[in-house]
Amino acid sequence: MNLVQARRQSWNIGIVFLVFILGFWRINQLPQFGAYEARTFILGILPIALLSMGQAVIIIGGGINLAIGAEAVLINCLSAKYMAGTSFTTSVLLTVFFIAIGGVIGAITGWIVSASGIADIVVTLATSFLLVGIAMFVMPQPGGGINQGVADLIGGKDPNFIPPLFWLIVPLLIIWIPLYRSRTGISMYAIGSNKDAAFLSGVNVNLTRIKLYAVGGLFAGLSGVVLTGITLSASPFASISNTATLNAVAGAVLGGVSLAGGVGGLAGPAMAALILYFIPNILLAYGIDPAYSQIITGALTIFVVLVGGLLRKRTEKN
Amino acid sequence: MSTIKNFATAKVSKSIWALFGILIGLFLLTSFIDPYFFSIPAIGVTFALAAPLGLLAAGQTICMLTGGIDLSLAMIAAGAAFIVSVKSPSGTLTALLWGAFFCILVGSINGLAVGLFGMNPLIMTLGMNAVLIGVFTVGVTTFLKGSSSMPEILVAASNATFLFDPFSWPLVIWAVIGGMLLLLLNKTGLGRLIYAIGDNAQAARLAGVKVWQVQLATYVICALLGGIGGVIIGGQSGAVAISLANPFLLPSVAAVVIGGTSIMGGFGNYTGTILGTLILTVLSYLLATINSSEAVKQIIYGAIILILAWTYSKISQNS
Repeated sequence: MNLVQARRQSWNIGIVFLVFILGFWRINQLPQFGAYEARTFILGILPIALLSMGQAVIIIGGGINLAIGAEAVLINCLSAKYMAGTSFTTSVLLTVFFIAIGGVIGAITGWIVSASGIADIVVTLATSFLLVGIAMFVMPQPGGGINQGVADLIGGKDPNFIPPLFWLIVPLLIIWIPLYRSRTGISMYAIGSNKDAAFLSGVNVNLTRIKLYAVGGLFAGLSGVVLTGITLSASPFASISNTATLNAVAGAVLGGVSLAGGVGGLAGPAMAALILYFIPNILLAYGIDPAYSQIITGALTIFVVLVGGLLRKRTEKN
Repeated sequence: MSTIKNFATAKVSKSIWALFGILIGLFLLTSFIDPYFFSIPAIGVTFALAAPLGLLAAGQTICMLTGGIDLSLAMIAAGAAFIVSVKSPSGTLTALLWGAFFCILVGSINGLAVGLFGMNPLIMTLGMNAVLIGVFTVGVTTFLKGSSSMPEILVAASNATFLFDPFSWPLVIWAVIGGMLLLLLNKTGLGRLIYAIGDNAQAARLAGVKVWQVQLATYVICALLGGIGGVIIGGQSGAVAISLANPFLLPSVAAVVIGGTSIMGGFGNYTGTILGTLILTVLSYLLATINSSEAVKQIIYGAIILILAWTYSKISQNS
C-alpha cells in the first residue's frame, strides 16, 4: 500500500467515524430507535446517495456533470407520469426501462462532451437546461404516481427498511464492483489522473468517457425512479435539480473523490450522503429554523472541499 | 511573441464577425415574424433589457478569463437589489453603499477562498449560492425585514430614456461600465495579469505575480458588476424578491461562452460577451413572440447554447 492509498484509507476511516458519531448523536435525539427510524434514515439519503455515486464515477474520470440533478428530475417526471395507474408488471418493466433511459441520456451527454471538445461544465450546464425543460414539458404540474406494489418494493412497507437498503447497496455491487474491476475501471482512473498520458498509453479516452457518463446516467435514473417510489409523485422544478446537483457534488467530494480526478471510490459517497443528512437534522432538532438548513448544506460543502483541498496540498508536499 | 498575438487577434476577430452575422440573422428573423421589432422603441427596449445581463456577463467574463466561474452571481445580484430596497428609507445613496458593501464582502469571500485556499471556483460559488439563498430566506423575516420595493429614483432611472430612443439609462450605464472593463482588460496591468493567470497560473506565480491578489480583485469586481446589474433588474421590475436574478444566471454564463471566451481561462474578450448578450436577448424576444411555454423556452435555450458553443469550438479548432 503506497502513501496515497494510505491517505485515502485514512480519509475513509475518518468518514466512517464521523458517520458513527453523528448517527449516534441523531439517534440519541430520537425518543426511540427501531426499524421505523432506520427506514426514515435510509429513505432520507437514498436519492442523494445514488446521485452522489453517479457523480463520483464521472468525477473520478476527470469530468463533472452539472446536469445530473436534471437527469434525475427528468426520470422522476417520466416515471411518475407513465407509471401512474399501471399494473404491477407494467410498473416493474417501466422501472427498468426508465433506469435504462437514464443511462442513455448519460451516454448522449458523454458523447457530446467527447465529440464537441467543449468543457464538461458548459455542455452539462446547457443539458441541465434542456433536460429540466423536457421534464417541464413531460409534466407541467407536480403530480403523477406509481403502482403501490412497486412503490413498496422501492420504499418498503413501514417499518420494513430492507427494500430501500437493497436499493442502496445492490447498485454498488452490480454496477460499481464490475466497473471497478474491468478494463474500463482502470481506464477510468487513468484518464482521470492524466488524460494525455492515458491516451498515449492506448486508452480510448472518448469511449471511456462515454461509458462513465452512461454509468452516471444509470445512477441518476435509479435516483429518479427511487424518488418516484418514495414520494409517489414528481415535481419538475429547476430548483430541485440544482440542489440535487450541488448535494451530489458535495457527497462525492465528502466521500473522498478528488475534484481533480483519478482518486476515490463509491462507498465513500454513499456514506457521505448520511453525513449530509444527519447534520441538518441534528441542528433542526435543536429548534433551528429550517431555512438555515440551506446555509448549513452550502457552508458544509464549502468546508468539506476546503479541507479536502488542504489535505491534498499536504499530501503533494510530502 | 508578436506572431502569437497576431494569430490570437485574427482568431478573435474572425469569430466576432461570425457572431455579428448570427446576431443580424436573428434580428432579421425576429423582425420578419414580428414587424414591430424592427422599430426604434423596440430596439431601445431590447438594449435596456440586455444591459443587466451584459453587466452580469461582464463579471462572468473576467472570472472565466482567470479560469474561474461565479455561480453565486445571480444571488449576489438579487442580494444587492434586496439590500438596496431594504435600506432605501435611509436614503438612496446610503442604500447603494450598503449594496456595494454586500457585493465586496461576498466577492472577497469568494476571491479569498479561490485564491488563498485553492478552492475549486465552481464548488465555492455553488456553495456560496446555497448559503446566500439561506441567508436571505431567513433574513426576509428577521434582520432584513422592511421595504421590498426599490427606491423610486432607481425605478425611474431604470425605465427612463436617456435623451432620445433607443438610448435608455441602463444602456448608458452598461456602455460606460463596459467601456471601462474593455480598457481594464486590454490596457492595464491587472487586465494582463487576469489573462496571464488564466493561461497558466503556475507560470504567472513563478514570474512573481501574486495570483491570489489578482483572483481576489477579480471576484470582487465580478460581484460589484453583478450588484449593479441586480439593482437595474430590481429597478426594472420595481419590487425585489430572492429569486429576482435567477433567470439571469445561466444566460450570464451562456453569453460569455457564446462570445468565445474559454471557460478554461486566458482566452477571450468582453466584445464577444457583448455580442453574446445581444444574441441571447434577441433570442428570448423571439421565443416570447412565438408564444412558447416555459418548457419549450428552456429546451430551445439549452439547445442553442450547446449548438453555438459547439460551432464555436469547431471554428476555433479549424483556424
